[in-house]
Parts: sequence; C-alpha cells; structure tokens
Amino acid sequence: MELLRYIFAWWHKATPGTLLWTRRYGELVGEDEFGNRYYRTRNGEIDPTLGFERRWVLYSGYAEASTIPPGWYGWMHHRTDVAPPSETYTPRPWQKPHRRNFTGSPQAYRPKGSVFAGRARPRVTGDYKAWTPGE
Amino acid sequence: MAKIVVDGTEVDVPAEYTLLQACEAAGVEIPRFCFHERLSIAGNCRMCLVEVKGGPPKPTASCAMAVKDLRPGPNGEPPVVLTKSPMVKKAREGVMEFLLINHPLDCPICDQGGECDLQDQAMAYGVDTSRFAENKRAVEDKYIGPLVRTSMNRCIHCTRCVRFTTEVAGASDLGAIGRGEDMEITTYLEHAMRSEMQGNVADLCPVGALTHKPYAFHARPWELNKTESIDVMDAVGSNIRIDTRGREVMRILPRTNDAVNEEWISDKTRYVWDGLKTQRLDRPYVRKGGRLVPATWPEAFDAVAAKVKATPAKRIGAIVGDLASVEEAFALKQLLTKLGSASIDCRQDGAALDPSLGRASYLFNAGIAGIEEADAILLVGTDPRHEASVLNARIRKRWRATGGKLKIALVGAQADLTYPYEYLGAGPETLADLAGSGTFADVLKGAEKPLVIVGQGALARADGAAVLSLAARLALSVGAVKDGWNGFGVLHTAASRVGALDVGCVPGEGGLDAAALAAPGGADVVFLLGADEIDVAPGAFVVYLGTHGDRGAHRADVILPGAAYSEKSGLYVNTEGRVQFANRAAFPPGDAREDWAILRALSEVLGQKLPYDQLSALRAALVAAHPHIGRIGAIEAADPAGLTALAQRGGNTDKGGFAPVITDFYLTNPIARASAVMAECSALRLGGVAAVAAE
Repeated sequence: MELLRYIFAWWHKATPGTLLWTRRYGELVGEDEFGNRYYRTRNGEIDPTLGFERRWVLYSGYAEASTIPPGWYGWMHHRTDVAPPSETYTPRPWQKPHRRNFTGSPQAYRPKGSVFAGRARPRVTGDYKAWTPGE
Repeated sequence: MAKIVVDGTEVDVPAEYTLLQACEAAGVEIPRFCFHERLSIAGNCRMCLVEVKGGPPKPTASCAMAVKDLRPGPNGEPPVVLTKSPMVKKAREGVMEFLLINHPLDCPICDQGGECDLQDQAMAYGVDTSRFAENKRAVEDKYIGPLVRTSMNRCIHCTRCVRFTTEVAGASDLGAIGRGEDMEITTYLEHAMRSEMQGNVADLCPVGALTHKPYAFHARPWELNKTESIDVMDAVGSNIRIDTRGREVMRILPRTNDAVNEEWISDKTRYVWDGLKTQRLDRPYVRKGGRLVPATWPEAFDAVAAKVKATPAKRIGAIVGDLASVEEAFALKQLLTKLGSASIDCRQDGAALDPSLGRASYLFNAGIAGIEEADAILLVGTDPRHEASVLNARIRKRWRATGGKLKIALVGAQADLTYPYEYLGAGPETLADLAGSGTFADVLKGAEKPLVIVGQGALARADGAAVLSLAARLALSVGAVKDGWNGFGVLHTAASRVGALDVGCVPGEGGLDAAALAAPGGADVVFLLGADEIDVAPGAFVVYLGTHGDRGAHRADVILPGAAYSEKSGLYVNTEGRVQFANRAAFPPGDAREDWAILRALSEVLGQKLPYDQLSALRAALVAAHPHIGRIGAIEAADPAGLTALAQRGGNTDKGGFAPVITDFYLTNPIARASAVMAECSALRLGGVAAVAAE
C-alpha cells in the first residue's frame, strides 16, 4: 500500500520522478523549521523551459504549500535571490511563528457564534425555554 | 355646521370642530405632537400652527382654535385657513428648531427610531444646522416602573403621558414639575406607576422619552412582521398587532377599534409576550411509572386511545380552558359527542351561566361602546378595572363625559375603580333589596339607559344561578331592557367563554359540569383544553392539551403540546358577543401543533374521525352549525326575551359577599404566569421592592 502510494500519489511525499530529478539536477539550498527542504537547479543553472533557475521544495510531510514560511516563500517565488539561510534577518519580538492554513481541519478558525466554536450558543431570535416535568 | 375654507377647499364641518379637525376633514394633514384625539387639548407643542384669515393676525395653533372662534369676512365669506403658506412653513420650522435645540441626536440608539413623530416631522420642517451655541439642557432619567423606560433628555413636553394617566387611566401618577426649560415629567417620588394601562404612555409618546422597557434594544420597527390579532388575556377581545421577527414575538401593540378597545390595551395584554417564550410545552409527554417522560405523537395518541377505549363513554369528560378559540371548543365538543359523552364544560370557574336561556343571558348586551350611552351603572360582583381594564377605561370615559354626574354603584367587594361610586353592599341581600326599591333602584329607574353589569364574582358561586336571576329581575324591573337598549350585561373574564357557550360547551343530558368532572370519582378520563384554573382530583386520567407547563401540565397523564394564541389562527367572541378573527403571527415551538389539528388527529386514533382535514373545513362546519360565528366583526344582537325567563327562574341566595374574581391581575393565565415581566409587576403590586428591570 505504502509502495503504491509512493508510486502513484504525489501528495504524501515526493514521487520517484521528482526524487530522481532532484538527485540529478538539484542542489539543496536549505531547510525550514518544519523540515521542508528547498532545492534549486545546480549552480543556479538556467532552466531552458523557464529562462531562469528552477526552485522547488520537497515537503517533510503532507504536501501543503501553506507550510512554507514567509522567508522561503519569497525565495520560492523569485521575489528575492537571497535564501533565508544566507539572510541576516532577526525576527521582531512581536512576530509570531508561522502557522499553516488550518482550513478544513479541527484547528480551523471559527467565528464567534459558530456552533463549532465550542462556546455556549448566544441567544438568538426564535429561542424559547421548553418546560420539563418537575420544574 | 359651519363653512370654512382650507387651502382653497371649502368644507362644511360642525362649528365646535377644532381647526385641526376641520383641516383633516378637508384632507390636509397637520403635523402635531401634543394633540391626540382621545385626550384633552393642551396646545403646548405649537407644531400645528396655521395661518388664519378671520382670526388673530399671527400663526394660530390649530388644535386649540375652534371653527366657531373665527369671524367670517366683511361680506360674510367663510373664514380661511392656510396650511401651506410661507408664513406657516416658517413658523413650523421655527417651532421645530426650538424643539430640536434640546433634543439629543441619539436616533441610532433610540428605541423610537423609525417610528418617531419627531424624526418624521424633522424631515419636513427641520433645518440642517444648529444655531444654538449655549449649553444644552440635561434631565435625569426617572424610574417610573418596570414597564416603561424613560430617557428624559428626549422629552419635548407634549404632556400626552400626563394627560393619559390623569384622564384615561385615572391614576394621577405622572405630572410635570418646574417651568419652561426646567420642566420635567416625573412620578414625583420616583415610584412605579400604579396603573394597569401604563404601557399606553409609551405608545403615546411622540418621541423616545418613554419606551417599552421589556422591548428595549431588542428590535427595530422595520425588521418586524406585523400581524393583526385578538387579545385573549381578558374577555374584552382587544384588537392587537403582534410584531414578530422570525419565529419570535417581539412586542404587542394595540390596534384601533372604536367599538372595542379604542386604542388602548392593558399592560397584561401588552407585556405578556415574554411568557410566550418560557415554560413552553414543545413535545408530547406520557406519564409512565408516575413520571412524565417525553414521547412521540403516536405514542401519546396511543396512550390516550388505550385509556379512552377502556373507559365507558359516560366516564369521559372535557373542560375548555380560558384561552381556547371557538374552533377548538367546537371540535372538542364534536369529539366528545362522537365518543358518546355529554360531559363538556367551559365554565371552569363554576359560573352559573346557562346558554339554554338564550345569548342575552350571558352577553354584555349593551356593547362596550354602549357604555358611552349609559346614564346609570350598577356593578354587581365585579371589579372591571382588573377584569377588563379597557372596558373600565370606557366607564371612566363616560363618567368624565358626564362631568362626573354619572351615577355608578357597586355591589360586591370594594375596589379602586378610578372613578367614584356608591357602595351599596357586599352580597346578594343588597341586590335583593334593590330589586324591591331603594335609593339606587330609583336612580336606575329614573335613568334613560341604565346598565347592570354582572361580574363573574357574583356568578362563580353556589348560588350563582339565583344571583344571575336576581340581577336579571332587577334589570327588568328598572326598565334596563327596552326597545333599542338592553342594559343587562355579563362581564366575562375568560376570552374563550362566550364563544364556547355559543357553540354549546356545557354539559348536555346526563353530562357532568366542570366541578363534577374535577371532583374525586367524577370522571375516568378528562380532557383539559388549556384549562389550568381547575384542579382535577387524583384518580382521573388527565389529557392536557395546552401550551405552558402550568397546573394542568403538572397534573396531566398525557400532555399534547398546543399553540398559544399568537401561534394559531382562530375566532374569538368577546364579552359583548362580537366575533373577531385572530391571525397567526408565529409558529408553535418544537413538536407543538395547532390545537384543532391535534384534536382532529386524536379523533382518528380514537376511531371517531372528525370530518375536516383543514381549518377552513372546520370553520365551514362551525359556521354551518352556528351561523352568527361567521359574521366576523359584528355583534349578533341577542333576543332579550331570554332575560324574562331568566328572571323568573328565581332561586335561593346565600349570605356572604361576592368575592373578587381576580386576586392577582398580572397572573391570571398560564402565559402570564410564565412571564418574568408579569411576575415583576405582580411583586411590585404586592408591595415588594422594585426589582431590577428585565432588560
């Protein structure tokens, strides 16, 4: 099962093709706090189909693009050529650690008043107090 | 009649009309704050200024100037009123500017916003900027009771509330202290108002100075659905408007019906709505092993059917409660008849009313509007102020209209009725003395339209039938029943009573009445149609069809949850015999259903299917059996001949005075008993300390 998933599904871990490609042409640039590993074409070689160097990531677990932290996000999108490991950046004290997008998971954001928020439901129009015997 | 020209249109109006009324007759609307059709004229807001020719050469307050006060022109031309001239516009804009000087701009947080006279009229006459640079007036908010919220900065001193409490409600609770800018409306010592009609002052207030405390900040007028309905708190059948948002009743307001409630309603009618949301029966219950357990409708019906089928028909009975509509009473009566039982009764208080004597014997024959023609009134065993507040206001109106000369006398328990009356005595002996001759009998004889009002306090007792007969004999002997006037009236306290009597919800041949059904060993199966004011003795199997977890539900063996009066469409017959139609404003909660539908479904399980699948079919059957129920809004005049038979019945009366029927005005039915606002009012009336307002 694990083998079949490895061969045919791409969202659990990198496919054999990607791993082979990474091995042959990739150059490890760095790793973020979640264990995602970032690669680029070896020596910054220009990819003929793109016209510039290719950059890619091998996710540490489930392939979830929002786990890429902001520093690496900028590098991945060619907004900057300086990768975070060579960046001299100290986070501000008010900066919170990066969190992935939790939509669809139990940790998803629930607005105030949502029945999934776990809080007591606020009173709404149409509510009534039912009688129970013994009252 | 006098001729007057309003904006170029000549109209012919009674000379005593005010200019404002004349303008209305000509189809011209005059803005006003202090003027109200049913209150005395104050003339202090000055918003109704008009220009007149043939009167003083300055803007005139049209509410305070009569048509006859104006002079005709030099050649006898009718006086001229201009309501749209530049002078009028300027004058009104000036008045509005003065009013707005001290009126806070808090419409967004004001409960009156959206239904405010000042807001509306400022659109027409307001100016967009303020020229007032001085300090604004600030007034402390007063505590005037748990029902009316004050925000006195907003007050424009129209004194409508003061005039209402003094004139209509008859409790001089509100007044004004100070002059000019320092004038304040107050109850002087910040006590709660002691009127049972105080909610009307919030309706009368043209601005947001007085608003409804229980409704405060709950809804906006434009988000409410308005449904025209009929009140069931007393037997007057006040016309009301139920405002709902979604499924929830947000407030209850009066509708104008000059024949019934004019435009007033009592506080119980108005503020009972929070009782519609608490203690609700929202699923059927069946008693198993001494405990009520939730059940499904089929389980509940099966429990009833099993018991009914094992019981001989003679041992089955039904009691119709005080809030039932005519359709339900009719359907229940038909169901009982099909089951073979004649034991049905709508008189759970034991009032000795007998529909076999004709409708005249249990109606308020003179009609509520007829009170305004009466010139002598005898009250027998009744406290109209608490049994029918709006009707009492009508008596007070008549008393005021006669300049305090209306002769009113009372036999029964003494009470403050808001007008003076001659106290004759406590019980039937006094009434018997009157039937012979006596001072007040002479007054009644001398009167052109004497009125004898018999309350339930005189009838709901062992000798009730004899007292009713005695009262009828008295009414006949003083000439209260003649061509064009029937001054014999029974004042009911239950909204369902007249309708249920009309459809014959009284024991038939061999049937048991309510007291006998409730007595130990009376019946084996008793259906209670919202009957909570009666205790059924242990032993009987009680099927309670009602809305609230009140006495009946506690006693019940099977509970079938029904719909409250706001949640069903129904017909009600008020104490004067007027058939009125109530629309459905909301839906019953949870699994509860409309009562007639429950009875129809139950009848099928019992194997005695009622022949209607729709409310319209039930109504058709009802009207076919009792044609006068179909004449909605009208009173079917009763044949006074029945009163002669009633008078001849006679009977022995007991000693002992008539007891008051209503011990606590605010807690007379299950809906009111479930209401926190009513409980607070009741505590206050009983001398409790001012509780924290239910906001």
